[in-house]
Amino acid sequence: MSTRRNILKGAVATGALATFGVGYAGTVKKIAKGKWSGEVPRNAHVTGNSLPAEYNVDPLTGDVTPNPDQAMSYTMCIGCTTMCGVRVRVDKKANRVLRVTGNPYSPMSTDPFIPYESSVAESFAAMAQGGKGNGLTNRSTACGRGNAVLQQVDNPRRVLRPLKRVGPRGSGKWQTISFEQLVEEVVEGGDLFGEGRVAGLREIRDLETPAVPGAPEFGPRANRLVWMNCVDDGRDNFALRWLKQSYGSNNFTRHGSYCGGAYRSGSGAMFGDFKKMPHAKPDFLNAEFIIFAGTAPGNAGNPFKRVGTLIAKARSDEKLSYVVVDPILNNAQNGPSGERSKWLPIKPATDGAMAMAMMRWMFENDRIDHAYLAQPSAAAAKAAGEANWSNATHLVIVEPDHPRYGHCLRGSDIGLESAGEAHSDADPYMVASDAGPVPAAATPAPLFFDGIAETAQGPVAVKTALTLLREEAMRQTIADYAAVCGIPEETLIGLAKEFTSHGRKAAVNSHGGMMGGSGFYNAYALVMLNTLIGNLNWKGGTMIAGGWFPDNKGPAYDLAKFPGMVKAKGLPFGRNVPYEKTTEFKTKKAAGKPFPADGPWYPNAPGLATEWMSSLVNGYPYRAEALIFRNTNPIYGVPGVAHLVDKIKDPKVVPLIISIDPFINESSQIADYIVPDSVMYETWGFAKPWGGVWTKATTARWPVIEPKMEKNAESERVGMETFLIATAKKMGLPGFGDRAIPDADGKLHPLNRAEDFYIRGAANVAMLGTPVSDATDEDIALSNVARIADDLKAVLKPGEWRKAATIYAKGGRYENIERAYSGDEATHQFSQPMLVWNEGLGSFRHATTGRHLPGCPAWRAAEFADGTRVSDHYPEADWPVKITSFKSPLQNSYSVGAKALLRIAAINPVNVGLELAAKHGIKNGDRVRLTTPGGTLESVAVVRDGVAPDTVAIEHGFGHRGFGARAITIDGQTWPADPRLASGVLLNDLGMIDPTRGKAGVWVDPVSGTAVRQGLPARIERIG
Amino acid sequence: MDTNRRGFLGAIGRVTIGAAASIAGTAEAAEAAAPGIATGGPRSAVKTKDGHTVHWGMVVDLRKCIGCQACTVACIMENDVPEDAFRTHVSVYEVLKDRRDPAMVMLPRLCNHCDNPPCVPVCPVEATFKAENGEVLVDASRCVGCAYCVQACPYDARFINHETQTADKCTFCYHRTQEGLLPACVETCVGGARNFGDLNDPQSEVARLLRENEVSVLRPEMHTNPNVYYIGLDEALSGRVAGEAAYHPPLTTETHHEEGL
Amino acid sequence: MQIHELVGAVHEAAWLPWAVQYFFLIAISTTALLMSLPAFLLGHEGGLPRARLALMVAVTTGITAPIALLADLHQPFRFWEFYAYTHHTSWMAWGAWIVPLYVGATIAFAWALHRPALHAMGQENWRFAWLFRWLSLGGGANGFARPLGLIAGLAALGILTYTGMEVMIVRARPLWNTPLLPLQFAATGFVGALGVMLVLERVLARQEKLELRLNLELAAALGVVGLLGIVWFGLALSGLSPVHARALASVAGFPVWHHIAIWGGLAIAIPFLLALLVPVGTGWLTGLIAIHAAWMFRWTVFMGGQAVPKIGSGLYDALVPTGIAGLMGVIGTFGLWLFLIIAYTTFMPWSEAGPPGGPRRAAPTTPPATPPATPSRAI
Ligand SMILES: Nc1nc2c(c(=O)[nH]1)N[C@H]1C(S)=C(S)[C@@H](COP(=O)(O)OP(=O)(O)OC[C@H]3O[C@@H](n4cnc5c(=O)[nH]c(N)nc54)[C@H](O)[C@@H]3O)O[C@H]1N2
Ligand SMILES: Nc1nc2c(c(=O)[nH]1)N[C@H]1C(S)=C(S)[C@@H](COP(=O)(O)OP(=O)(O)OC[C@H]3O[C@@H](n4cnc5c(=O)[nH]c(N)nc54)[C@H](O)[C@@H]3O)O[C@H]1N2
Ligand code: SF4
Ligand code: SF4
Ligand code: SF4
Ligand code: SF4
Ligand code: SF4
Ligand SMILES: [Mo]
Repeated sequence: MSTRRNILKGAVATGALATFGVGYAGTVKKIAKGKWSGEVPRNAHVTGNSLPAEYNVDPLTGDVTPNPDQAMSYTMCIGCTTMCGVRVRVDKKANRVLRVTGNPYSPMSTDPFIPYESSVAESFAAMAQGGKGNGLTNRSTACGRGNAVLQQVDNPRRVLRPLKRVGPRGSGKWQTISFEQLVEEVVEGGDLFGEGRVAGLREIRDLETPAVPGAPEFGPRANRLVWMNCVDDGRDNFALRWLKQSYGSNNFTRHGSYCGGAYRSGSGAMFGDFKKMPHAKPDFLNAEFIIFAGTAPGNAGNPFKRVGTLIAKARSDEKLSYVVVDPILNNAQNGPSGERSKWLPIKPATDGAMAMAMMRWMFENDRIDHAYLAQPSAAAAKAAGEANWSNATHLVIVEPDHPRYGHCLRGSDIGLESAGEAHSDADPYMVASDAGPVPAAATPAPLFFDGIAETAQGPVAVKTALTLLREEAMRQTIADYAAVCGIPEETLIGLAKEFTSHGRKAAVNSHGGMMGGSGFYNAYALVMLNTLIGNLNWKGGTMIAGGWFPDNKGPAYDLAKFPGMVKAKGLPFGRNVPYEKTTEFKTKKAAGKPFPADGPWYPNAPGLATEWMSSLVNGYPYRAEALIFRNTNPIYGVPGVAHLVDKIKDPKVVPLIISIDPFINESSQIADYIVPDSVMYETWGFAKPWGGVWTKATTARWPVIEPKMEKNAESERVGMETFLIATAKKMGLPGFGDRAIPDADGKLHPLNRAEDFYIRGAANVAMLGTPVSDATDEDIALSNVARIADDLKAVLKPGEWRKAATIYAKGGRYENIERAYSGDEATHQFSQPMLVWNEGLGSFRHATTGRHLPGCPAWRAAEFADGTRVSDHYPEADWPVKITSFKSPLQNSYSVGAKALLRIAAINPVNVGLELAAKHGIKNGDRVRLTTPGGTLESVAVVRDGVAPDTVAIEHGFGHRGFGARAITIDGQTWPADPRLASGVLLNDLGMIDPTRGKAGVWVDPVSGTAVRQGLPARIERIG
Repeated sequence: MDTNRRGFLGAIGRVTIGAAASIAGTAEAAEAAAPGIATGGPRSAVKTKDGHTVHWGMVVDLRKCIGCQACTVACIMENDVPEDAFRTHVSVYEVLKDRRDPAMVMLPRLCNHCDNPPCVPVCPVEATFKAENGEVLVDASRCVGCAYCVQACPYDARFINHETQTADKCTFCYHRTQEGLLPACVETCVGGARNFGDLNDPQSEVARLLRENEVSVLRPEMHTNPNVYYIGLDEALSGRVAGEAAYHPPLTTETHHEEGL
Repeated sequence: MQIHELVGAVHEAAWLPWAVQYFFLIAISTTALLMSLPAFLLGHEGGLPRARLALMVAVTTGITAPIALLADLHQPFRFWEFYAYTHHTSWMAWGAWIVPLYVGATIAFAWALHRPALHAMGQENWRFAWLFRWLSLGGGANGFARPLGLIAGLAALGILTYTGMEVMIVRARPLWNTPLLPLQFAATGFVGALGVMLVLERVLARQEKLELRLNLELAAALGVVGLLGIVWFGLALSGLSPVHARALASVAGFPVWHHIAIWGGLAIAIPFLLALLVPVGTGWLTGLIAIHAAWMFRWTVFMGGQAVPKIGSGLYDALVPTGIAGLMGVIGTFGLWLFLIIAYTTFMPWSEAGPPGGPRRAAPTTPPATPPATPSRAI
């Protein structure tokens, strides 16, 4: 007994001691490590692992002493499409980026930015605390994302070697192949995947055979290679050279149609250019009142950081008050600024109603700017001291059956003799007078006229553009508009009153919020408010971007032309041309029924990536044989695209897909080949600001670190340029090789490496106008342009290289800040008239309905392609909720790999308004299910006050499947999915197909053809 | 908005008398610690042209903060802040006053470099101390990692760094100010909300901001005499905030697979 | 004003479960030691069985506690710095001196009380006699036990003071920063010590009289704890004491704290009633509940306290933190303590400890739970 007891006791004692041993092992290990139980930090005392300073600025003298181990180079961030000039701090030995902040020469990162003449040393001193101590004034910044995205360079899931798919598209299985094999296979084609023969690029580049037999308007078969691009990150000129001028395909598109295309098109309508879509931005620092409807300054927006800086300064140090009209309250509003910064909730996608209500009040109370609007011509504006003019007074033909219905009345219409052809620039626009229509002259004209003009063909009904606009505004009462947009009538009136109480120091601005089903007209209506107060080109009003110093065509080299270049031609893949130009129209017309077309056409739009998705799937207007994605991700970014993806993945539908991208994003995931590409600071290029910068600015990007991609057999780093050069040479395309780039004397220079192209571009930027001064040895050393100095010398002529070095040493070329204004006006002005009535818009026939649309702003409820109302298909009774998207202040669409951001916000719970939540018994933190006609998703709900009634708002940038959110297998080795990268939800999963389209396509705005992500009809329910 | 102007004036008055004479125990602590931190420790107090000793301070203008978190990330990058901690971050609140007009408040938080820092006297081994220019620092080579200071700080500004196993916190970027540079978070502040400089210099931007604005500090009732001031801070956000907390997803296991593709 | 935090940081607990263990064990040790003193120092023969249990508890928990404390240091190797750089403004620095003094004095006191028996065992003719001769340091006299006991007692009071003050002065944590806290620590320490003694009594002694006495004492201690709790709440609710009001306010809104309050109330009330109404035969139950109550009080104070953000909204996740590692810490310290208890009861003539300078023992009055012969077989 006693023995057993003792054995038991011994066992218990041993067990107890062992348990202790396990629990205490960590401590023992720590003790065994001695003085440092953890890692010994770089500095064992007070500063731990903090980085050694990049340089020293003597507090008394201001002298700069660099840290020899680190380089401070000025290049470009592309943590979002803003593309700021930044300062990258590099550990030279480790070839590693340590930290990023702003470039003080660059208006994208600094305000006020320092004079371009400042030496690099002075630019360093300018940001310091010591010395002059101007660091706070000249502080130059990177935003939260800009600070984090350096992690993308070292992202372990980055693609560094060419990849070829193994197994079906999208299976996540890849093999690495050599660069040479990649080039061979994509050029020559063949049975590449054991699924049958695939035409290679060489075969597709057929400049003779038509793309569509019997329809020559679509150009040659070469057009069946189609290229999708994100934004011009400073390298599009290279891509376009290859695609259009060498290869001969006319099909290139950027992401605009699922970015803010509706806004840009609406603005383009007023600025009179649907292709470039000019737009103005408020002069933040000098405006007194701004309405942001559908753009969120400081939360997102482009240029995000600059706008953030300016809005903060304007609301605290300057005179600005502003209202953010938005379905969701976000960082654009600032509580501590009190009355200076207000949020006004609006029902998604109803901004047109708000704008038209304001206009109605302005017309009724005569709060429009007669002095501006009455000028019918540039000469009149000049005489009146106006900074711009409009076509408010121009007469428009409103006779329904008139062949020129919707067009402006021209001199030729009433039989006036003119120097040029009818309806050309020389043919005068007509304005009203007591004596009938007269050509617009250098004097003011009547704003309103509604009557008959005697023309050569007889009397026709005409109205002034402004009369037509007023009629549109008067179509509904303010109370009716209020009911539509959910903003009370008094508030609408208050808004109009306030907006018209600051002379021209008020502005309206918009962007992504217009991406709804009536986005185009909503946007046109909003920007028209600016025209009604005549604020364009005025300090404190709205201003356009100051422009840039282009790289492509300059005094030194011509990068835009070369011997043997071809001219790409043919109607574009995205159907953004008049339907009337097609053989289909002609055939149908001959058959007596020209309308509807088989699918929608968008003559008043630029390239439409959204519609490309439909074109790809349906082969309408024709089939694509090869698709290149370059740094773009429509499969993530386009709402509703999920409904089309399976078809796009089918090799029979799109036989060859190549993605040029450093990451396996949602789109490269379905590619056949991935060409690795450089990440941010490894890349060459030249970018210009999107807007909001009043002076000329060119941001130069150059590899400030050695790129990480593998080298090809010729010891060049693999990347977009290497790939295009190699394929061009293999196909024997013009414009590449030893005799490719003409200089000013016509002498030809080689294009064998990226450097050959971009460095000559730098020479152009440097030599434009008054050439920049030479970079000093000190500039070159401090900025570490020394890294590329040999390339500069090798590529350029002796007199050029130090000038190009200046461009790189200072991260671009920037006009000095004093040039922003000339007196009370902007220095760089938009000189074309504002179109109160856009004839192109007012006269075209909608291809799928055959109907006309208003040529001026109007409130129109959302329509599908066949002209029926969306609400007739999905009535509010069944779909009582509206879902809307807003940008994450932290993430953008591809920054998820920069994990520092996930530390701050790991997920995007959906935002539900208090009342809506109460209605469905949803409490903060509950899980909810959202359903639209397009899809469903489940998420956690955050119940907030700051959401418009019956609205759910989803932050964009989460819910990934690419980038490592799903498992990837390469050469048999599997990289498991990282759930952190997959966290949250993506609104685009709820995006919709247009049920009225015969050929499948996502729901788009009927005029601008842009994706719809705002105001999706939906239901919500609590699921736990 | 209730600002404690008087408290702030009091603080300035005391600050102006000089950091050296601020609080008995602290100055002593600095001295006691000084020999042990010969390398990389306070090289020397930063002085100015007129020879006065600089006293660093920050004025955060909440009207200018856009919540971009540039400061947060810059601090992480500059100071290698480990995964589960922040030396600074920006809280974002939706605030509803009088049941109407919800509004956003972005509130940057960091160590206040208190002139009366409760974190210092509790340290059993004098590893944390107040340096000559007013920074409250930790000598990691002495810190025993007892975390008493972490408990004592009323602002949750300290944490145990799991890499070094010692107390960690904002240093006011001591390693940068010593070199004449601005703290990382200030240099990269997009809204221009964070202003940093010498409180002892009436010409400095921070001194000007303090003169010309109503300012307050976080948790004035703790009498810590912070050197971080706020413009536009609502009292309700000054300390513990009564309200819904931010949603944090349950932790997921992180995959480690760090070689390149 | 309504406030909703949309982005906020989470702060980890910096004092780990090790700290809970330390505060738990050291409180039990010191209160047990204090309970052992009257009988040993004043020589109340009738109090000896209780005092012996108390002493055993004091020694075993007293050894375990600082070992747990060391683990709560993130730089345990640097513990010597406490003595090299004592910072006089820090209660912890003082604690660093008091802890070894207390543990040393307690062990010495216990040794002194055991010395006669050890010596006697060294005189017997058996295999391990040499060991006991060595353990008794060659003699049986123990007149010096009384001053040692006094020192240990004073040190115990020092510990109760410093541990209470160390936590109480942390103004940043309202839940800690109440003047009642040191008293609550002490009172719950008694509860815990009595709980352990009750359990040990059931295992080792099984004397109804002792059980009854311990149960009544436990009821008294629980009464004090309850009273302190009521005073705490009274002060907090009435607003008479702002610090208490703040402490209550810091947790009042959270359902988890309502549960904790109910749980705590039950953990006091149930053993209190049981011990009072059925003082015999319930020792196991009352003992275990009492231990749990004392432990839980500390867990709640430390982990719960750290779960309260000092700035910002809501609660951190700290209330149940640290995963397996933290849990292993807790279990591990209990393991060590259990081992020590087994070792102590196995090797020490614990049941023979008597007042110092008493009549020299001829033969054991009561046999030790394990006869001295046992070790020979076990070793
Ligand atoms: N932080 C951050 N900055 C960015 C980016 C990013 O991803 N993150 N991306 C960059 C890019 S590519 C772009 S295009 C710009 C876009 O910048 P913005 O256009 O400013 O951003 P969005 O979030 O697309 O839309 C602006 C606002 O419109 C609101 N909105 C939604 N529906 C409606 C509506 O029906 N009516 C009104 N009035 N408002 C509505 C949204 O809630 C949002 O707050 O930002 C750039 N900058
Ligand atoms: N629901 C919803 N949908 C949206 C939006 C929204 O707010 N809500 N926003 C829309 C807007 S505004 C836009 S602009 C589009 C954007 O959509 P897209 O322009 O199609 O795509 P991005 O996601 O910006 O894709 C760019 C790709 O470039 C790659 N990349 C990243 N960094 C680098 C680099 O340094 N170098 C190179 N070579 N490549 C890199 C990445 O793989 C990334 O996926 O999405 C739109 N979609
Ligand atoms: S706004 Fe931020 S992320 Fe975007 S380019 Fe500029 S610094 Fe980079
Ligand atoms: S953690 Fe370090 S600095 Fe903090 S109190 Fe303990 S020893 Fe001092
Ligand atoms: S904020 Fe906290 S850590 Fe910083 S000095 Fe004050 S008490 Fe110490
Ligand atoms: S001063 Fe330096 S350490 Fe402190 S928060 Fe700013 S960046 Fe971080
Ligand atoms: S960087 Fe400046 S503006 Fe941005 S969150 Fe931090 S304090 Fe606010
Ligand atoms: Mo965009």
